[in-house]
Amino acid sequence: MIPRLEPRRALRIDRMTRRTRRIVSGATLLGLPAMYAWSSFWTGTSVPRIIWGPIVFLLIGVTLVGAFVLYRYVRDRADMRAATLDERQRQLRDRAWILSYQVLAAVVVFAIAAVAIAVLGFGRTVTLDGSLTSALAISVGVLLPLLPAAALAWVEPDAPEDV
Amino acid sequence: MGRPPERVEPVLHNRLAVLRAERGLSRQELAAALGVNYQTIGYLERGEYNPSLDLALRAAEYFGIPVEAIFSRRPFTPMSAQLYAGSARAE
Repeated sequence: MIPRLEPRRALRIDRMTRRTRRIVSGATLLGLPAMYAWSSFWTGTSVPRIIWGPIVFLLIGVTLVGAFVLYRYVRDRADMRAATLDERQRQLRDRAWILSYQVLAAVVVFAIAAVAIAVLGFGRTVTLDGSLTSALAISVGVLLPLLPAAALAWVEPDAPEDV
Repeated sequence: MGRPPERVEPVLHNRLAVLRAERGLSRQELAAALGVNYQTIGYLERGEYNPSLDLALRAAEYFGIPVEAIFSRRPFTPMSAQLYAGSARAE
């Protein structure tokens, strides 16, 4: 049976151009890791806490606001169980999932390579302590579910003008 | 060196926009009749999405014409030119 797909009123978020969507996707996925990178850098410097705090909130805010915008834009279109998608939307969703896996594989390979170079090349010690574990867990917990939505917002071409 | 084109599949030309205009249909109306999202009609008309065989056949059935009259691998000649050629032959 063919699903009946009713057009819904286009909101400003729905009309975002691909360029805007790509900026939002990139910023959303980089906000949280940038916050951890900034905090890690900050502990080794004499930068006062009054500067560290607002930057941390700003970077967390980028990820939170970006996640809201992406979920609002994508809705259930990145969901593998969504039943109301037509063939083009299903094709786009599959492309988004493929891109998600590619990004995830690249991040894992890059992280392993970085650790290997640090340990084997420079003789550094990498300790999986509580702060690193919680940072990894929060990043994975927030960013991994977001990845298909960000990928879909990234790959979807600009919508045709309504006629 | 320029960016590689994102599109890899061959372009499928179509007459959807002409047929839709001829019958006074909006994209929403055609989309509802074919059971797709209204934006999909826009992407089809712009040649940015190639329909499945099922969707192409549904469009042909809906318009009541052969599928090759709607979709073609070669660009269509304008309908006005075809009509004029047809009437010139008749005379």
